[in-house]
Amino acid sequence: MSENSVTAQGDLAISLQGVNKWYGAHHVLRDVSLNVRKGERVVIAGPSGSGKSTLIRCINRLEEHQAGSITVNGTTLTGDHASTEAVRQMVGMVFQQFNLFPHLSVLENLTLAPCWVKKMGRAAANELALSYLERVKIAEKAHKFPAQLSGGQQQRVAIARSLCMRPSIMLFDEPTSALDPEMIKEVLDVMVELAADGMTMVCVTHEMGFARKVADTVVFMDEGQIIEKNAPAELFGNPKEERTRKFLSQIIGHG
Amino acid sequence: MPAPPKAIGLNQGWLNWGRHLFASPGHALLSLLILGGLAKIVPSLIEWGLVKAVWSGGPADCRAAGGACWAFVGEKFRLILFGIYPHDQQWRPSLAIVLFLAMLLVSANPKFWRRWLFWMWASGLVVSALLMWGGIAGLPFVADDRWGGLPLTLILSTAGIVLSFPLALLLALGRRSSLPALRSLSIAYIEFWRGVPLVSVLFMASVMFPLFLPEGISIDKLLRAQLGIILFTAAYLAENVRGGLQAIPVGQSDAADALGLGYWQKMRLVILPQALRLVIPPLVGQFITTFKDTSLVVVIGLYDLLSSTKMALSDPQWRAFYVEGYLVAAAIYFLFTHLMSRYSRYLERRLASSGGSV
Repeated sequence: MSENSVTAQGDLAISLQGVNKWYGAHHVLRDVSLNVRKGERVVIAGPSGSGKSTLIRCINRLEEHQAGSITVNGTTLTGDHASTEAVRQMVGMVFQQFNLFPHLSVLENLTLAPCWVKKMGRAAANELALSYLERVKIAEKAHKFPAQLSGGQQQRVAIARSLCMRPSIMLFDEPTSALDPEMIKEVLDVMVELAADGMTMVCVTHEMGFARKVADTVVFMDEGQIIEKNAPAELFGNPKEERTRKFLSQIIGHG
Repeated sequence: MPAPPKAIGLNQGWLNWGRHLFASPGHALLSLLILGGLAKIVPSLIEWGLVKAVWSGGPADCRAAGGACWAFVGEKFRLILFGIYPHDQQWRPSLAIVLFLAMLLVSANPKFWRRWLFWMWASGLVVSALLMWGGIAGLPFVADDRWGGLPLTLILSTAGIVLSFPLALLLALGRRSSLPALRSLSIAYIEFWRGVPLVSVLFMASVMFPLFLPEGISIDKLLRAQLGIILFTAAYLAENVRGGLQAIPVGQSDAADALGLGYWQKMRLVILPQALRLVIPPLVGQFITTFKDTSLVVVIGLYDLLSSTKMALSDPQWRAFYVEGYLVAAAIYFLFTHLMSRYSRYLERRLASSGGSV
């Protein structure tokens, strides 16, 4: 794709060029190119096994890509410590399984990285953590342990934990897939608010309602490739590719 | 659900026992057999150990009475406890024992798991070494081939456990490292040390190791044995720790990475606190094994608690009363190992109830 010419490099939050990845002989990402502008909200959809989670895990180098280039806010991931460290400080991530640290209280979960990575003082970190807990409306649980919270509460804590590092980009890897239906809304509400504040977001999700409401761009992936990419109204209303159509009819049929 | 009974009275307690012991004909038969056996053994044990026992006097009194000869223990307890450490200097190993027990007591409380604990142990080990060796501050020098008994057992096992633990953590992490060289090295180390018996490690440390040293340099026999115990124990502990590491979901590591924690921060703050909690029982099991295995140093001529007991029994006058001697040694071993396993259970409960936050 020739998106570089369309968008000035300085406005790019994430730039993926010809990214390829293999697990052994299995080709999981095939020539993926994608640009994300600062402040842009991108939703990645696609059937399971299509490589969408792998793709966003490459953006903060939880997975290594083997060919192509990934540049985040001007820093290219080359595999050396410095670039990985720099990118991870700019990028927050929220996981399907929340991945809160069960041996730490909610507050300690939030202050761990600010204290140890940013060397912030304990008092300042606590204050920062409480302010984000208030934003995700869960400040009263600060001294509970993760196991004492519901799934939706845990996921909101996980979002607050990421925000405490003041990232400029947030990655969401199926943030609501492990939640009971009645808890999905409370997490999506937090994400909608975050989007309204102008956060650059890349979300892997099956929540098409969320995509319609929040996304600037929806990317449809299948078999490690980007099949189609468009504004949500276009992609949902008038899908160009047969595979996109089939996928959409399936998830809407089950919706 | 019905409310649980508030308290079980004595009578009800006995009733429950009765119900358990005679729940079925099979149970009843077994219970009767066991109770019958106890009825036969216990009275004669009491007669031997208490009623006919001799508490003071000489070997002749003991032979005349026909009961347990605790007089032997009274006569020889300093030899059993301290080996052949000079008699008038035995306050020094006594003090070392007290120091060790105090440090163990402090370390047992999770509240004190802070950085200063490391420095306490470092200085505590140095102080007790100076106490035992002497040669400074007006203390006469005592060569370590005269150390023995309980202090030697405590020093070898405690230093063995305390110093092998950090090595074990590194080995366990190394074995799971993504760097192939580091991984192979850790595997080779662990498999090598687990493949040889401790006795041969001690022989190697005592006989072979000096041959590899350049001429003019010699390392003390005790230190060589201590080193052997540390290197040996570390391999076993490493495998226990690895078991804990494997049980931690990979998402924990992902989350720590995504937050920007470095490798060592991730391990120290996120992975190890969870992994170690899971493996408290096997870790303490290994500590207990190490404690008891120090008795093998007898093969290289060091006199730990068990060997000093044997030494006390080599007195021809008292040789007949080996049962009493070994019972005392066994009681001391049991006291320490039992405390360790009680502590293990306490620790599990305590860490579970606090959500693991320490």
